Order: sequence, then structure tokens, then C-alpha cells
Amino acid sequence: MNPPSSEIGAQIITLCAALMLVLQLLLVVQSMLLTNIRLFALQSLLLTVIAATVAYFYNAEHVYIVAVLTLIGKVIFLPWLLNRQVRQINIIQEVEPLLNAPTSMLICGGLTLLGYVVARPFTNLQKLGSNTLAVAITLLLTGFFLMSNRRKAITQVLALLSVENGVMLAAVALTSYGMPLVVELGVFFDVTVAVMVLGILVYRIRENFASMDTSKLSQLKG
Amino acid sequence: MELALLVVIPFAAGVVCLATNSRPWWERINFAAFVLVAVLALKIAANVLAAHGAISAINGFLRVDALSALVLLLTAFVSLVCAIYAIGYFRRDRADNRVNERQLRLYYGLTPIFVCAMLLAPMADNLGVMWVAIESSTLASVLLVTLYNQKTSFEAGWKYIIIGSIGIALALFGTVFVYYSAVGVLGSETRGGMNWSILVQVADKLNPQAMRLAFILVLLGYGTKAGLAPMHTWKPDAYSEAPVPSAALLGAAFINCAFYAIVRFDVLAEKALGHNFPGKMLIGFGIASILVAAPFILVQRNFRRLLAYSSIDHAGIMVAGLGFGGPLGALGATLHMLFHAVTKPLMFFCAGNVQQQFSTPYLWKLRGIIHTLPWTGGLFLMATLAVTGTPPFSIFQSEFKILSAALVADHGWMAFLFLAGVVTIFAGFLMHISKLTLGSPQTGIRATECRWRLSAMALVAAPVALFGFWLPNSLYELVRQSAQIVGGSL
Amino acid sequence: MNLDIVAITLQTALLLLLAPLVSGCIKNWKAKLQNRRGPPPWQPYFDIAKFLRKDMVISEHASWIFSTAPYVVLITSLLVGLMVPMVTTQAPLSLFGGALTVVGLLALSRFFLALGGLDPGSAFGGMGSSREMTISAIAEPALMLAIFTVAITAGSTDLSRIAAVEQASSLKLLNPAHLMAFAALFIVLLAETGRIPVDNPATHLELTMIHEAMLLEYSGRYLAYMEWGASIKQLVLMAILTNLFLPLGLATTNSALSVSIGLAVFLAKLLALGVAVVIVETVNAKLRLFRVPDLLSAAFVLAALALLSTFIFQ
Repeated sequence: MNPPSSEIGAQIITLCAALMLVLQLLLVVQSMLLTNIRLFALQSLLLTVIAATVAYFYNAEHVYIVAVLTLIGKVIFLPWLLNRQVRQINIIQEVEPLLNAPTSMLICGGLTLLGYVVARPFTNLQKLGSNTLAVAITLLLTGFFLMSNRRKAITQVLALLSVENGVMLAAVALTSYGMPLVVELGVFFDVTVAVMVLGILVYRIRENFASMDTSKLSQLKG
Repeated sequence: MELALLVVIPFAAGVVCLATNSRPWWERINFAAFVLVAVLALKIAANVLAAHGAISAINGFLRVDALSALVLLLTAFVSLVCAIYAIGYFRRDRADNRVNERQLRLYYGLTPIFVCAMLLAPMADNLGVMWVAIESSTLASVLLVTLYNQKTSFEAGWKYIIIGSIGIALALFGTVFVYYSAVGVLGSETRGGMNWSILVQVADKLNPQAMRLAFILVLLGYGTKAGLAPMHTWKPDAYSEAPVPSAALLGAAFINCAFYAIVRFDVLAEKALGHNFPGKMLIGFGIASILVAAPFILVQRNFRRLLAYSSIDHAGIMVAGLGFGGPLGALGATLHMLFHAVTKPLMFFCAGNVQQQFSTPYLWKLRGIIHTLPWTGGLFLMATLAVTGTPPFSIFQSEFKILSAALVADHGWMAFLFLAGVVTIFAGFLMHISKLTLGSPQTGIRATECRWRLSAMALVAAPVALFGFWLPNSLYELVRQSAQIVGGSL
Repeated sequence: MNLDIVAITLQTALLLLLAPLVSGCIKNWKAKLQNRRGPPPWQPYFDIAKFLRKDMVISEHASWIFSTAPYVVLITSLLVGLMVPMVTTQAPLSLFGGALTVVGLLALSRFFLALGGLDPGSAFGGMGSSREMTISAIAEPALMLAIFTVAITAGSTDLSRIAAVEQASSLKLLNPAHLMAFAALFIVLLAETGRIPVDNPATHLELTMIHEAMLLEYSGRYLAYMEWGASIKQLVLMAILTNLFLPLGLATTNSALSVSIGLAVFLAKLLALGVAVVIVETVNAKLRLFRVPDLLSAAFVLAALALLSTFIFQ
């Protein structure tokens, strides 16, 4: 089904997806935790715009609901929650990552290429938003890289959330309506509860280890 | 009706426990809830056998066929025995002051919710809802793993949730790809695009490229949950730090849910891609898990972590059986799921008794348990023999079937590696546990064994001893029908 | 080789006369933003005139490289300037290779600049040269990739053709590849012209200098040529940035009206870009030297992503 006058829609979606990619790159190299949370909120906002655009051009109400959920959950609520935790714990800067910034950026560039190669067979140019699958896979891969490169717990949580963003984007890109509403609701619920549980753990880790540096969690071996 | 009740009862029990404040009531509510769950599961299994197909409720949202019924039965059984065991276990912990009332409330409140999610997973027809259920069960169990609030608990819990979340994100990605291929075949207006029962009918028309990618992602994702190598690193930590009943639930019930998810996707993949590609991947991960577990078992010094590696090994065996394929492989894997779920809790319970009595999980510190805790020692030995696949216990039969499936499918080298791994693990286990149980102890004082825990262990030991010789007809019929579904012929 | 003597002369005159004004304006606005009066915008003219009149003092260790470097810098900057469309869509000179020649000529001028800093044997000169080479090692690929991104969408490396194609097609402002390439080129502009956050052009502490350190030994008319060449390079890079990404208003015919409109629009765009540079300079602090590669590799990856985007989002 080809919606009429989707030139503007395609341009908006492409622009938002590219900006999401740039924000992910910034997430990888940026070391101030509060800025990272804001970058994630901005990325989720762009995802909301993409969902809303797809909903508008395909006249699908339940994708509007997804957009609103993303807005409330990932743009407002989760960043607020994470902000509160960071302020509670009072650690605002990341320690030195495992790989330095230029190397991380080069690796992310390589992962983008990989994402493009993997997504190539599935992009159908007729469908609105189908060309963002490469960005979705890249978000997944760079999210995993971010998780392994950084050591502060909150950054690992943010990496997980950006991977979720990638999966949501893939759902929108691959299937024009996204997944059935009940699944979307379930996923949102799970993500929110996961962040809450992670928050509880982060707080307790901070209490017990006096640091959020997860490389100190290395007692259990063998 | 029963299907909905099966989910609602444990959830309600959990919420009530979180809201109330008295320990006797928690124990009673949990016990009652799990007894009801077990009865309902039996009834549902009987209904499924009588219906010669699948039963559904809530407009097809919940669908139970033979495989789902089997998993439900196993989950119900394991949670019931764990609930009985937990009563004795936590009374001892409370007396030793290892936990406070708040932590107990957390346990008694979260465990039914955990079980509720594990019961929802096999019942959901929609693959996305199955994902949600498995993820919810992980989230519920994280706080259970960190129950003791030690530094090591948090390390285990953190690793568990991070690695688990990575896996679950991959699994969601794979599910999205399956949905994408479904939309390609059924059209984008479809309402049932994520329902397994509908997908399995059009599976041969699904886009092979998308299904290949989806299967790899799902195997990586749900394989992380099952504990397949190389995504297994969370298991030893989580199993050793969690309280024993939770670890038993994780190791004997949750592993079935993860395996169930892999099976559902494998059926779709094999219909779309043929047996070759999925089979190779499954065999690869399965044999790798067995081979990774074997050396760690040999050099292990902590018997709680020993159980985790055993769990990794059995997950590998089940997945390898699925990979070898054919009717023998499917039957072997399904039987293994049944026998493993029945045998594993006994190991956990015995290990828990030992750890609580001597306050240490380290093997080098303990000797001659059988003199101090005669029942536990004896049952520990029996369970070890059963779990490692010694005849005449039941696991021997399922492993033998899987080995035969490998030889029938002409995977000579894989069969050899399988056998080598299993034999090594047998040797390692026997060495460790016999040293632990037999020999001369430091103190000859016999401790009194708790009534609750003994009854739980007896409840588990009975099938362990029995199933090697005799399987009730209806149970075998259920397993047979499940194996048919696993093998893709239903 | 497309030779139009009039066009070449006019563009050369424009380059020579406009470049110092641009430098002076930026310095003046930066001062105003910092609440000072600052030197008047035409101060660089007086400076160049002064340097041209003065005697030169040359180190006895310097060789012929020291003497040729100023000429090379000035002439390559002029050549590059002639290849960039500034007022008209068609640049007066189009040498074989287009964008590649531009980058090559800029590299040649940088090469001689660095050698000229090393030649007299002073410590500060050598330090400046090595720092300059470190920065350009990452900045140059970023510059190339960014220009290639627009070249690919236009189908040619000839800068005039790129501008013409961009002008003809509909407004591609929202094209993410171009936006990312613009961002990357902006960072490269800051690096090549030695502006904060890469290098402080107004510093008098030798240990913090990069570009200035290489010029420390120059005096008299050599210094005039060097400074002039540097400001022409700055003008050329700003012209590339504005005219390749936003080629509105470039004159397509040779009529007086369109040329004057072209000139006016070009000046307006330079003004806007200059204001952007001034704001960036004022808001940021100079990065420590070992952090500069971080910034430049960000530019490089942005440019690489821009190039990838032309394929991903085709």
C-alpha cells in the first residue's frame, strides 16, 4: 500500500533516523552522564516523530498510541527517573572507557557499515520508512558496543535503552504498522520495569561498593 | 477458564503477600496457591489429551497444546516442591538471622509473580506476548537473586540482568523479523501475524533470508536465557548467589520456558528453511555448551556453581537433541526436558541443606556429609547419579535417545563430542559429590533434618527413582504428542 | 582547461582584496562579543602593507625552502581559490581532478608551511610544524570525505559542476548526508584556519601556538605573503562550505546583474558563516592538544557517516 504524497514524510523520517544515528555516536563518546541522559531523551523524541509520521501517512491509529507511549515513557518518564538516580548517587562523570574516543568512533563507523550490509536485503523502497532498518541495526550494534566499552552502571542502562530504541525503529521500518498493540504495550511495560529494577540495583551497588564502576564487580570467578 | 485462572491465582497470591505482614500467612498463601496451580495444570493437561489438539481461551489469546501443557505441568511441579522446601529453608535462614522479615516478604511476594510469568509464557499464542512473559519472569527473578544483599549478590544480579537484557533485546529483534516475514506472506493488515498457530500454517512460505536472520537472533537471545555457551556467564553467579528455592526455580523451570521458546521458533525455521541450517546452529550451540561446562565442572570448588554448570550442560543436551532432529531427536529432547525438570530440584535441595548446615558452599571444606545429614547425603548421591545420566535413572534414556538421533543423522563426530562431554561431566560430578558425601566427617554429630524440606525432597525423589522404570501412560502420551509438535509434524 | 582571462583576473582580485577583510571582520566581531572595541575590520590591510615595506631578517641556518615557502603558500591558495565557485557557478579555473586537486593543493601549501617552520632550526617552529601535521593527518581525510559526499550526489568531483547540480535540483536542505557533511566540514574549517577550539589565533604564548609558531621566524614581505595566503585559504574554505552546500544565488550567466546579485549573496553567506565561527570561538575554550584528535576524529566519522548515508538513504 503506497500512501500518497509521501515525499515529505520520507524526508522527515530519513532526517530523523540520521539524527538518531548521530546522537548514538555522541552517546558513545560523551562522558558526562547527565548529558547522555538528555541525548537519549532526544533520540527517543526523534523516534516519536518517526512513529507519528508513519501513523499520519498510513492513517493507523494504534501507531499514534505507540508514539504517545514513547513520548511519555522514553522522553519524559525514563530520563526523569534516571536523572533522579544520578543525582541521588551523585556521580556525574564516566570514568575512562576501555577504548578511547577516536577508536570508539571508528568502531561505530564500522558497525554502521555492517548494519547497512545486513539491512540491504530487507529494504523495500516502496514502503515509507523502510530505509531506516540500517539505522535500527546500527543502533543495536553500537548499543552493545557502548555497553561493553563503558563501566558506569547508568551508562550501561542507557545503552540498553538505546538498543530498545533500535528494536522499536526496526519494528516501524520493517512492518509499516509496527507490532500489534498488545505487544507494544507489553514491551513498554517491560522496559519501564527493567529500568526500575536496574535503578534499584544501581542504588544498592553504590551503597555497597561506594562506586558505580561495574569493573569492581569482579569477585565471582570460575 | 482454567487457563486464565492458572495465571491469575499466582499473581494474586504474590500481590497479597507483598501487601501483608505475617510470615505464617505468606507460607500458607504460597503453599495454597501452588497446590491450586498444580491441580489446575493437571486438569489442563488432561483436557489437552482429551481434546486431541489444542485448547484455547480468551479468544485465542491463550493457547495450550501438548507441548505447552507439558511445560505447564513441569513448572507447576517444580514451583510446588520449591514452595514446600522454601518453608523449611527460610525458617532456618530466619533463625540463623541470614534474612530479615522484609527480605522474606520480597521472596514470598515475588516468587508467585515469577511463576505466574513462567506459566504465561507457554500459554501465549502471540510470540510477542511470550517474549513479554519471559522478560517479566527475568525481571521478577533478578530481585530474588539479589535477595541476600551481599556484595556478591549484587554482582550476580547485575551480570544476570545485563546479560539477560542483551539476550532479550536480540530475541525481540528476531521476533520482529519473524513478524516481518509473516507480514510479507499474510499482508500488512493481518491481526494474527505474531500468533504461532497461524504462522506455523504458512511457515513454508516465509521469507528465507529474514527467517535465517531471525533464527540466529532468537537462538542467541533465548539461548542466553537458557544458558547456552557462550552466553552462559551469568548462570554460575546467579545460581550460587540466589536462595536455593529461587535457584531451583531458575534451573528447573525457567530453563524449560527458554527451551520452549527456542522450540517454537525452531519449528517455524525448519518449515521455512529446511532442517539443515537450523539444525547446524542448534547442534553448534548445544555441543559447545556441553564442552564448555565439562572442564569447569572438573575443576570446580563450589558446589552451588557446580549445579549451574550442570544446568548449562543439560540446556546444551536439550538443544543438541533438537538439532540432531528426526523423531528420535525430538522425542529425546522432550523426554530430557521432562526428566531434567524432575531430577534437578533434588540436587538443588540437597545442596541447599548442606550449605545451610555448614554455612559454606566450598567443596574442600566438607567431607562425609552422609554421617551428619544421612537423608540429604543419600539423596545427594542418588540425585548425582540421576542427573549425570547413569542407568537405570531416567536421564540415561533421554541422553541415549539423543545420541542415537545423532548417529541416525550421520553426525558421527558430534556424537563423539557429546559422549565425551557427558562422560567427563559424569566423572567430575561423581568425584566431587562422592568426596562430599562419603569419607570421614569432621564432626560425627547427626543433625536433625527439617520435616518440610525432607517432604519436598521425597516428593521429588519419588519420580526420580520411578521414571527410570515406569512412566504413567497419560504422561507418556503427553510427551509423545509434544515430541510430534517439536518435530514439526503437527 | 577552461581559461577566461577576465574571470581569472576578477576572481584573483576578489580573493586578494576580500581575504584580509574577512579576517579583520572576524577579529573585530570576536572583540565586540567579548565587550572590547577591537581593531577595525580593515586593520589586516594596514598590517600587510606594513610587512611589505619592512626589511627581512632571515636566520643563517635557513635554506631555499624558507624563501620559497611564502610564495608557494600564496600561489597555491590563489589557485585553489580560482577553482572554487564564489560568485558565479562556473569557477574560472577547472584543473583536472576538481576536488582532489583542491585537497592536493591545500596539502602542498601545508607541506611547505611546515617545512618552512622547520627550516630555520628554531625549537618553536619545529613544534608548530609537528602539531600542524598531527592535526592535518585527521583533518584532511575528513575534508576529502565530506567533499566526496556532495560529489557523489552531484556525480562529479568538479566543484563547478557540483554547485550547478545542487542549484538545479530542488532544495535538498533536509538531506541528512549533506547536513552531516556540513557539520564535518565546519569542524575541519576550524582546524585548518587555526581557530578555537583547535588553536588560538590571538595567542602570544609560543608553547600554545600551532599555526603562529611556524610563522615566528618570518618577517618582512615573506610574513606578508604567509599571512595573506593564510587568510585567502580561510576565505576559500568558507566559500567551499557555503557554495557547495547552499549554492543559492550563484550567478549562472555572465550578465552584470546576476554577477552583482551573486556577489551580494556570497558576501551575505560569508557574513553568516563568519558570525557562526565567531560564536563558536567565543563560546568554546581551546582544547588541550591531545584532545584535538578526538574532535577531529568526530569530524572524520561524521564525514564517513555522511558518505554512508548517501548509500543507505538513497
